[in-house]
Amino acid sequence: MSAPLLSVRDLVIEFTTEQGVVRAVDGISFDVFPNETVGLVGESGCGKTVTGLSILGLVPRPPGRIAGGRIEFEGRDLVGLDESELRAIRGRDIAMIFQEPMTALNPVFTVGSQMTDVLRRYKGLSRRQARAAAIELLARVGIPAPDRRVDEYPHQLSGGMRQRVVIAMALSCDPKLIVADEPTTALDVTTQAQVLEQLVRLQEEFRMAMILVTHDLGVIAEACDRAMVMYCGRIVEQAPIEELFARPRHPYSAGLLASIPARVDDERRELPVIPGMVPDLLHLPPGCRFADRCGRRLARCDVEQPGLAPAGESRVACFNPVETPR
Amino acid sequence: MNAPAASAVDANGAPAASRRETLWHKALWKLRRDRAGMAGLAVVMLYFLAAIGVWLGWWATGWAEVAGGKWEAPSAAHWFGTNLIGQDIFARSVYSISTAFEVGLVVAVLATLLGGVLGALAGFFAGRFTDELVVWLMGVLDSIPFYLLVAAIAFAMAGNPYAMHVAMISTFWITTARLVRGEVIKLRQLEFVEAAHAIGVPEYTIVFRHILPNTLHILLVQSTITFVAAIKSEVILSFLGLGVKDGMSWGLMIAESTIEVLAGFFGNFLAASLLMFGLVMAFNFLSDALQDALDPRQVS
Amino acid sequence: MSALLEVRDLRKHFPVRGGLLRRVVAQVKAVDGVSFTLEAGRTLGLVGESGCGKSTLGRAILRLQRPTGGQVLLEGRDLATLPPAELIAMRREMQIIFQDPFASLSPRRTVAQIIREPLDVHGIGTPEERARRVLELLDVVGMRAAVQDRYPHEFSGGQRQRIGIARALALNPKLIVADEPVSALDVSVRSQVLNLIAKLQRERGIAFLFISHDLSVVRHVSDQVGVMYLGKLVELAPTHELFTNPRHPYTEALLSAVPVPDPRRKAKRIVLAGDVPSPMNPPPGCPFHTRCPKALPYCSQAVPQPVDVGSPGRPHSVACHLYT
Repeated sequence: MSAPLLSVRDLVIEFTTEQGVVRAVDGISFDVFPNETVGLVGESGCGKTVTGLSILGLVPRPPGRIAGGRIEFEGRDLVGLDESELRAIRGRDIAMIFQEPMTALNPVFTVGSQMTDVLRRYKGLSRRQARAAAIELLARVGIPAPDRRVDEYPHQLSGGMRQRVVIAMALSCDPKLIVADEPTTALDVTTQAQVLEQLVRLQEEFRMAMILVTHDLGVIAEACDRAMVMYCGRIVEQAPIEELFARPRHPYSAGLLASIPARVDDERRELPVIPGMVPDLLHLPPGCRFADRCGRRLARCDVEQPGLAPAGESRVACFNPVETPR
Repeated sequence: MNAPAASAVDANGAPAASRRETLWHKALWKLRRDRAGMAGLAVVMLYFLAAIGVWLGWWATGWAEVAGGKWEAPSAAHWFGTNLIGQDIFARSVYSISTAFEVGLVVAVLATLLGGVLGALAGFFAGRFTDELVVWLMGVLDSIPFYLLVAAIAFAMAGNPYAMHVAMISTFWITTARLVRGEVIKLRQLEFVEAAHAIGVPEYTIVFRHILPNTLHILLVQSTITFVAAIKSEVILSFLGLGVKDGMSWGLMIAESTIEVLAGFFGNFLAASLLMFGLVMAFNFLSDALQDALDPRQVS
Repeated sequence: MSALLEVRDLRKHFPVRGGLLRRVVAQVKAVDGVSFTLEAGRTLGLVGESGCGKSTLGRAILRLQRPTGGQVLLEGRDLATLPPAELIAMRREMQIIFQDPFASLSPRRTVAQIIREPLDVHGIGTPEERARRVLELLDVVGMRAAVQDRYPHEFSGGQRQRIGIARALALNPKLIVADEPVSALDVSVRSQVLNLIAKLQRERGIAFLFISHDLSVVRHVSDQVGVMYLGKLVELAPTHELFTNPRHPYTEALLSAVPVPDPRRKAKRIVLAGDVPSPMNPPPGCPFHTRCPKALPYCSQAVPQPVDVGSPGRPHSVACHLYT
């Protein structure tokens, strides 16, 4: 396999709150290779969004800070770069797509002027060339009548169209890596499907790598090659997508998959549940963070934190992983 | 739901970190950690003590007496010296604190009450007649120049010492009412208000039980801001001869000082302006701290 | 079995005012002629995309918003025209659970105050009985008695949703409108709340109108499912029937669009052209004809009326010209 495009090692991100210092991300490591889509999945507060932001140096500071670890992009450590160096990387090499398209677009400028700004700054295009490039990008993300849409304001577009514009802007400088944070969550079901398909197609077309941050396992299953499941600031399982859905090894992944209504026969009324709730990040147990809610807990789980270890095609952080027969 | 799931939720109850506390407790806790705000509060309390002492006749009783010669320099007997006719400037400036507090408290309390009630009614009935009337009234009162209004009211009330209060209350409620109206318009479409409707809670109960308590933070902050505005206006009005007539005020002292400053005597001017500056600054710090502590967007 | 709730040709239009004189210049037809019946103790799921009018429909049924036209018969009494005093009494029979567990609880009131408010308003029982009832309700929704003196902000989303459910149960309603009750919750908590709702229905025979944009959730809890598009109910059928044999082209597209949480089963997707038209000036004829892959010339001319395409005893109604 080729060298990883992005390589995160022992990343620790802390937030200072009134009650104390919280570790939102606690020592995670992973690689992203060129041209692949990696899913980062977990429930709210698990640290997935902060991880995505940290790759672009966008962790709000204060209250947040990167307290340890490295984020290497093409061999260069992004942690500790100053704002102007990060800005040079952001947009050009790594781009981000946010959940809420309306907040990512400036309401007082037309779609075209927001796009040509970026194109002229990073690609040195003339005004005329930039406009042509913007129209072409809009067409590529599936916006009908792009030569007309380019002169419209964000509020004139529907939610799905806006998110396409945001995607087009993210693509404008041919980034090598896109971090997409819940890119379809704010959209309606039918629009969500269109945008997701478009995103997968564009990822292949532009030959970029993508990190897809989401809580929706359905989205992960459709779009990703590989996925990482996060729980309480740690990666608990890392697996190729088919393996994860067919043979989840961490009891948390298994519980999440089991509790999706779509995977449960509709005649059966009782849904399997993961009992209890996510522990408070300020009062984490000394051992495995999932132990309290786990049906496969061993004595060891209460005193020792499991690390990611290979298990078949996956890597799992569990002393007593689920075994699913092939 | 199966039994183990239910009991697991039970066992956890609420997050272990949370103490039993209201939003007010949280705000108080935040306020206590705000150094500038706490310093402001301490200074305000000192001033307030001084004012209480004046009301109870503990000190500054001799503010009107001729106690020494003309323009005496500061001494152990007269800390800030004496004025043109030999009255003790320190006693006069301390007495003025009580005047400031009297005007500030009366205006802040009444203007906030008026603004809160009218703003809440306008907000809850937004788009209907009540709202249109209140909004129209705010527009009209806003368009009259303040000092013209004071002069008009003072004239109409034939020299009544409360003309100043009436003028201030009738204009200062407007900002509060605008803020409360906006907040209520926002609140009344929240789901907990809809939930109250669904339960069958009568409309006026919804306003007083569910909506008004959620505007208290605005009222509290606004009342401190109104207080400061009232004190400043009192000084300016007294200086112009439209305010305090029978008592003593920093404004009157500053008016007195206009002759003195030319003669090179700064006792009145310094005493009045420094004391006023201290009180206004302290109040501003307190009001900023309150705003931070009470902002519901920051109290999660 | 007699119907608990019968909705006949319900309409809710919002006037749009414009110009200097604030005259009504248009109508947003949020709900436009919806009819269905719901039997006691059953669940009707209502799906549709944002802006289709499903939430407005729920609120119009509970008369949190006054319907523009049509009837809402709860146990035979028409809520749409009931005078306010009688309406307050009828509120004992019907309740609502909201989507946002953070906005639906009054932030300055304790859990006990929130849950007992319905009892206070309707003067049910002595103060001691009300206090006992609060504890009982907390137990029903799986929370400890000790939480009753706490404030909503001290709880997580799932727990707040339980508190909201306890409040809705306080009056022993026969009908609960659940408006996206689990959309704001995380996956693992969502199934806990869904199971709680299912248990309540089983044990207490409460009928639910379950509104959601999430088809998989609706499929799991409902006996019948209705699909809404631009203020109209375009299809209504028993759950299994609707998901396995959808008849309306919109329902087909909607079902095919749901991401399947199984990487081996890539869905064959029906991609709809364009966007949902504005409900302010919906297209003439069938509201869906502008995006329908099967549209005929006739579809833009006449509004299709619902027809029954089901088998005897299993009605399946669909409003589409392909079946008339």
